[in-house]
Amino acid sequence: MGKLHSLTLKIHRYDPEQKKSWVQEYKIDVGGMLRFTDVLRKINQEQDPGLAWISSCEHAQCGSCGVVVNGKPLLMCELLVQNAIRQFKTTTFSLKPLTIAPVLRDLIVDLPQAYKRVHKAKPYIIEPAETPPEGDELRIPPRVMERYVEATRCINCFCCAEACISSHRHFLGPNAMMANIVRLFDPKEKAKKERLDILYGDDGVARCHTSEACSFVCPKEIDVAHFIALGKEAKFS
Amino acid sequence: MNSRLRINAIRRCDALIIGAGGAGLRTAVDILAGKPDTTIIAVTKVSSPQKSHTTTAQGGFAAVNPKDPIDKPVYHMFDTWKGSDCSSDQNVIKKIVEAAWEQTLWLDNHGLHFTRNEEGRFSKRTFGGHTLEFGEGPSAFRAVFEADRTGKGIMDTVWGESLKRNVSFINQSIATELIFKGERCIGAIIFEEAKGEFTAVFAKATVISTGGLGQVYKITTNCRQNTGDGLALVLREGLPVMDLEAVQFHPTGIVGPGILASEALRGEGGFLLNKDMERFMERYAPKMKDLAPRDMVSRSIETEIREGRGVINSDFNLPHVWLDIRHLSDYVHDVKLPEVTGFFKKFAGIDPKKELCPVRPTVHYHMGGVPTNEFGEAQKSVDQIVPGLYAVGESASASFQGFNRLGTNSLLELFTMGKFVGDRVSEYLGDADEPGDLPKGAGEKSFALFSRYFESKGGENLWKIRETMRELMTEKVGVFRNEKDLNEAINQLIEFKEKSSHIKLSGSSLIMNQELVDRWELDNLLDVAIVIAHGAKDRKESRGAHTREDYPERKDEYNYHTLASMVEYGKVTLDKRPIDMSIFEEKSKDYKHFDFMARKY
Repeated sequence: MGKLHSLTLKIHRYDPEQKKSWVQEYKIDVGGMLRFTDVLRKINQEQDPGLAWISSCEHAQCGSCGVVVNGKPLLMCELLVQNAIRQFKTTTFSLKPLTIAPVLRDLIVDLPQAYKRVHKAKPYIIEPAETPPEGDELRIPPRVMERYVEATRCINCFCCAEACISSHRHFLGPNAMMANIVRLFDPKEKAKKERLDILYGDDGVARCHTSEACSFVCPKEIDVAHFIALGKEAKFS
Repeated sequence: MNSRLRINAIRRCDALIIGAGGAGLRTAVDILAGKPDTTIIAVTKVSSPQKSHTTTAQGGFAAVNPKDPIDKPVYHMFDTWKGSDCSSDQNVIKKIVEAAWEQTLWLDNHGLHFTRNEEGRFSKRTFGGHTLEFGEGPSAFRAVFEADRTGKGIMDTVWGESLKRNVSFINQSIATELIFKGERCIGAIIFEEAKGEFTAVFAKATVISTGGLGQVYKITTNCRQNTGDGLALVLREGLPVMDLEAVQFHPTGIVGPGILASEALRGEGGFLLNKDMERFMERYAPKMKDLAPRDMVSRSIETEIREGRGVINSDFNLPHVWLDIRHLSDYVHDVKLPEVTGFFKKFAGIDPKKELCPVRPTVHYHMGGVPTNEFGEAQKSVDQIVPGLYAVGESASASFQGFNRLGTNSLLELFTMGKFVGDRVSEYLGDADEPGDLPKGAGEKSFALFSRYFESKGGENLWKIRETMRELMTEKVGVFRNEKDLNEAINQLIEFKEKSSHIKLSGSSLIMNQELVDRWELDNLLDVAIVIAHGAKDRKESRGAHTREDYPERKDEYNYHTLASMVEYGKVTLDKRPIDMSIFEEKSKDYKHFDFMARKY
């Protein structure tokens, strides 16, 4: 095994039955290649089986395990211990749940509620373009797709929404906006007018203050702010 | 019995989908496309269907355009049959392969961003075992894809369509029991984690689409949720599961977490090296080399490691081989496969443009599942279905994959079978009676289970049992198996099950109690693990992904699917289901290629 690191984790906890919040400190020795999800699992195994947190794919493809570590929203599954120590220059880490939805227990927030904002942006084709006859695919030049496919990598982890300085109440959020903007580019979507109504609606891009925090924190390294800017300028072709 | 445990709510719908991944939601969308006012409830364990395991599939979706001048659907059928080690059902192969192209057009039209070539048409790539001219020709470029996130494209598309068509979702919830009225399945008992409450969902038709069981093993590409829940659910109702011994090890898991490094890396020209920098696959599969089917490549890697030609990773103390993709162009690294090459950087600290990547076999997929016919109707025996109950996706086995699945055939199967199952459910809904009232005793199995969890006393540790079981399965029921190891595994699993009744939970809350769900998952894992071990023990031959060191050859006497049921823990009853040979038996033009054959690449 490689070198062990002695970590101190200060985890924000919440008990929904007692309606009680507190910060609990855990000390643990772990290898540098472990992910933070592995570290929490080790805490469940060795110290506290009751500490609640969620994950799913554990390789940054599903966006379930977002938390705020030392002030930065990120996915626990892609934060390696050695990188965390390097990045934050400490072995003490504070772990808080995201604030984009109410906390259900400990680090678990009500993601289904947060998702309602994405649903409002209609993450699907509202009205599909006509398909070519005779069983062929629609021809789309790669140059056209290059302008927006990067935005389709979004996994709705809500790290951008967490970092966004615009209010969570009045802005659907960077990720929801991006889901809408993708379809404004997409030649397969015919309902452009309805898309523009979402984009420029009361909870649309006008609420964005251009802090670009979304791009800064995106675990998928998507330049979210770039797509929001294109949305503001209506540059879809 | 714990008095807090009761049915808190009753809901009714036409169709209940248990597991809202790609297969389940494809089924839902297909039903709604035909009849938009159908009421559908979809239950998912994750916080949004978008978080399902389907989203992690990388490489592609196999589909032959019937107008293709070079490739033909019949070649794809042949490759699937041969790849399965002559163990898949030919009626299912024919049906799925012939419908494949139309399904890709549906996906494209509904928003999936398939990668295009310069002409603006679908790009295609090749995967292991896909060939032209019945294996005589070169590799077939048959898989359409969305960069290296094809599964995400499929998930996003069917999830979006489900939202659009008003599927009602119950997130962060598990199905703990099926409800029956006589022989007919009329819904399920759902435990909603965030509320800490049980809901009885009545449905005219119930579809199981809970995905895989990868968490039975120590190193797996499967997400945390893949604990064989649907299979354990069916087993607990006394119904059979099929071919669970056929577990696929993907040859290239990233050393450490076991994350999948897509076969597309080899499809694009990457190759494997041992410690002596030898391209060892040339010895095992002289023709297909690194693009031989997954079971063969996994066995080859394990053999290299066993014979001392592996490399040890000091961080994880794991032996591995190398995957070399340094020579691939920047375009492949940065545009065609950015997620996968990014995994090596993020999770292994390696720059795959400059360094060799450490890989080893990792549990990826199970070919078996709830036995169904070609329409997805769940079977209780060879010739009897369970009315009202369906299964689809990785949790089902029709069987398209037989004993080994080819890359890109799983997205094809889950999506296309989803459509067929949806069609069948729609037909059934037309004539089906309303389920009526809650039958006496419904929910009691769930309450008994949860009461046991809360009332158990003792010093056993949930996680220790879970981790030890995963190590045991990897060691004794892994890539290579033998009688002695399998017997040991079975005995130890029985011990683990006994130990698990002495686990004391740390809290008694029902609300968002992750430990309670972990405890329930442990039961599911232990249940499917012992069925895998029994199936493997009984099959005294080697076939596809199931390899017995003590019986290295495939044998004709085992030309059947294993049906296994379990009344009491460890008491597994085995039965047989014949392999469908309808393409061969029809004696049409190319039928000779669909006989049993030796599998060489």
